[in-house]
Amino acid sequence: MIQSQKSETPSMKRHMGMKASSRISNTVSYVVLVLISVIWLIPFVCILLQSFRCESTHQVGYIIPQKWGLDNYRNLFNTNFPRWYTNTLITALFVAVFQTIIVLCMSYTLSRFRFKMRKPLMQFMLILGMFPGMLSMIILYQVLKDLGMTQSNAVPGLILVYIASSGMGYYVSKGFFDTISKSLDEAARIDGATRFQVLLKIILPLSKPIVIYTILTAFMGPWGDFVFARYISFNVSAGMNAAVGLYGWLSQDQISKNYTMFCAGGVLVAVPVTILFMCLQRYYVEGVTGGAVKG
Amino acid sequence: MKKLLSVLLTLAMVLTMTAGAFAASLEGTYQITIWVAEEVKDLTAKQIEDFNATNEYGITIVANIEAVSEADAATSMITDVEAGADIFCFAQDQFARLVQAGALSSLGKQAAEIVRTSNDAGVVAAATSGDTLYAYPLTSDNGYFLYYDKSVIPDEDVDSLEAIIADCEKAQKYFAFEMGTSAWYNASFFFATGCVSEWKTDDDGTFISVHDTFNSPAGLIAVKGMKKLVDSPFHLSSSDGASFASNAAAVVTGIWAYTTIEGILGDNMGVTDLPSFEVDGVSYHLGSYNGCKLMGVKPQTDPIKGAAIHRLAQYLTGEKCQMERFEARAWGPSNLAAQASPAVQANPGLVALYTQNAYSVPQGQIHGSWWDIAKVISDDVKNATDDAGLQQALDNYYDKISSLFNLDTSALLFVGAWNGWNNADESDTYYFKDGSLTLDVPASDYMGGRIVNPGSWDTDKGFAQVTVGADLIKDLGADNPDNNIVFIEAGNYTVTIDGDAISIVKN
Repeated sequence: MIQSQKSETPSMKRHMGMKASSRISNTVSYVVLVLISVIWLIPFVCILLQSFRCESTHQVGYIIPQKWGLDNYRNLFNTNFPRWYTNTLITALFVAVFQTIIVLCMSYTLSRFRFKMRKPLMQFMLILGMFPGMLSMIILYQVLKDLGMTQSNAVPGLILVYIASSGMGYYVSKGFFDTISKSLDEAARIDGATRFQVLLKIILPLSKPIVIYTILTAFMGPWGDFVFARYISFNVSAGMNAAVGLYGWLSQDQISKNYTMFCAGGVLVAVPVTILFMCLQRYYVEGVTGGAVKG
Repeated sequence: MKKLLSVLLTLAMVLTMTAGAFAASLEGTYQITIWVAEEVKDLTAKQIEDFNATNEYGITIVANIEAVSEADAATSMITDVEAGADIFCFAQDQFARLVQAGALSSLGKQAAEIVRTSNDAGVVAAATSGDTLYAYPLTSDNGYFLYYDKSVIPDEDVDSLEAIIADCEKAQKYFAFEMGTSAWYNASFFFATGCVSEWKTDDDGTFISVHDTFNSPAGLIAVKGMKKLVDSPFHLSSSDGASFASNAAAVVTGIWAYTTIEGILGDNMGVTDLPSFEVDGVSYHLGSYNGCKLMGVKPQTDPIKGAAIHRLAQYLTGEKCQMERFEARAWGPSNLAAQASPAVQANPGLVALYTQNAYSVPQGQIHGSWWDIAKVISDDVKNATDDAGLQQALDNYYDKISSLFNLDTSALLFVGAWNGWNNADESDTYYFKDGSLTLDVPASDYMGGRIVNPGSWDTDKGFAQVTVGADLIKDLGADNPDNNIVFIEAGNYTVTIDGDAISIVKN
């Protein structure tokens, strides 16, 4: 690359000019980027278009519908889909609230307090976090079954499982809290604030990005979960989340009847997440990178 | 006298008690869970109401009906039998797994007798392990046949595989016939030339022996036919009815795709039995599997509840309910009376299926690994460049099948050589497990074979070890260095190995 630039004669360079050469490199990068985004977006566009297809319900060899309409969305409401959607929403909201509280308290504690066994505890959790969660699935299923939290009662069971392990996800926010100067805490303590007030009134307002990042990740986990949710609901429609319920429509005997409705369901599942991300994108990026910077 | 009286009284008391208990036993309300396919969920709810209203035992069933596809039900049941449904429907290939997992309760004598006499033989075999019936036949339509686009393939060509391929190539359209991804479909070619792969299970659902003739001269003819198909640039390995929407002109698939294909092709849709292929001037009609769906009842801790649920399952798989399912969803009945009804006989898809059934093989119990072993044959066939390559594909298959039982050190092979060692049927191979096997010996000049160790192929036991039934076999003296067992007469024999002794009994 460098060599080829060297071999260009000075007259040629003058000929092209800075503007022209930057235009060429811009065009090339735009073409590449457009190509990448087309490849990346095609599945989403396909699902979106298929969800508006009304002339047939099975898989077809074309993308653009011949007859447009909202039939698939309307039909969704005659199935168990609203129930699945509600289940998912309830689970995700509960987890988002409780997991955020637990994670933030945990991070605050580990960042600000110095107590016996603090380091070993952190190391222990690091090691524990390395085991794949799937390993515990069968045991968890048995425990939940004995507690009566499977099948149609899968929602409380799922909430319990997601929340129970949330204390271990403190790394990012602890890293961020570490960057906030301790002298702020000390000043507040001298003014008579309790530890909890310090967290609530000093730390949290300063860590908006990380709080939003924590809420978002806590929400996204259960929102997209499939494997565990499928196991816990164990074929009982009333206990399924949207992903598990929709998957049932892809079985051989149902796919030709429910394929377009499946796409419509998929779009509806994607809507809240998309909106959330669009509104909170700024904080999300800050949150992801924020914990990594030590100031 | 007093003693006799007391005995009589006691007897009378016991009799009235059991009679009373029996009459009242099934009456009551039972909470159960049922898993059925989504499309018959509402119909099943209605049928249960009918059962509640009409049954003579006073049973009231309160059912929680969940839509679970027949493909998933078995896996879920095995994961957690306790949490599984009381009644569930499954495709027959899951049967052996379910019996092994203890997820099926066997039918009572009376119910078994009714099922045996009122359903076609194939489905009864599919629901039987050893001598015990473990499930109720629900449908008998799990087979495949040919759907074609009449505007591309003229009616006179549909009987010939070569003509269909030529028509598709001419029109630049695909012929969809699933090969490399499904043994269920590619076995079609082997059945055409009379090859078999028969597996036996015992009462616990464990596989004990196999009789497989895919690796034989007949099998070689089959793969030659298969090569014609897979070599075509317009062959598509798919059984998806929607392929018609993406440039296919012929699809081999089952009755479940009927409405989809009818929706795509409309009046151009043609259905018929599978075509024939020609090798060395001889025509072979493609065979198929004919399988079924079954309804199983989970073993219950409460025997009375179990009996009540069995009554319901029996009702749900009876003629009336099967006809209702046919009318609502075109599910092909397994019940003989329902199959003969004019309505069923007027359905073009089912007629094609029943026509194909003449060339089909009932899908009995098949070892779960077989599907993966057999499906790769077609890829090997496609890669083969000559007859030696085709034979290699069969050899690979045979080695893998053998190794399924070779792993068990107690397994022994009975290699039959009916009518001489160079005979076409030389590959008739039977596998012993647990030391016993039943074999058919056809009449021929040389009705002998030897028992070998699968790994080393050394003769392990034979003529010299026969202690019982020595009168049934020939003593060839010095002419028998391989220790062969040579039968005097054709017939069906049970050969048992017990320690070092072999007993032969004619059945």
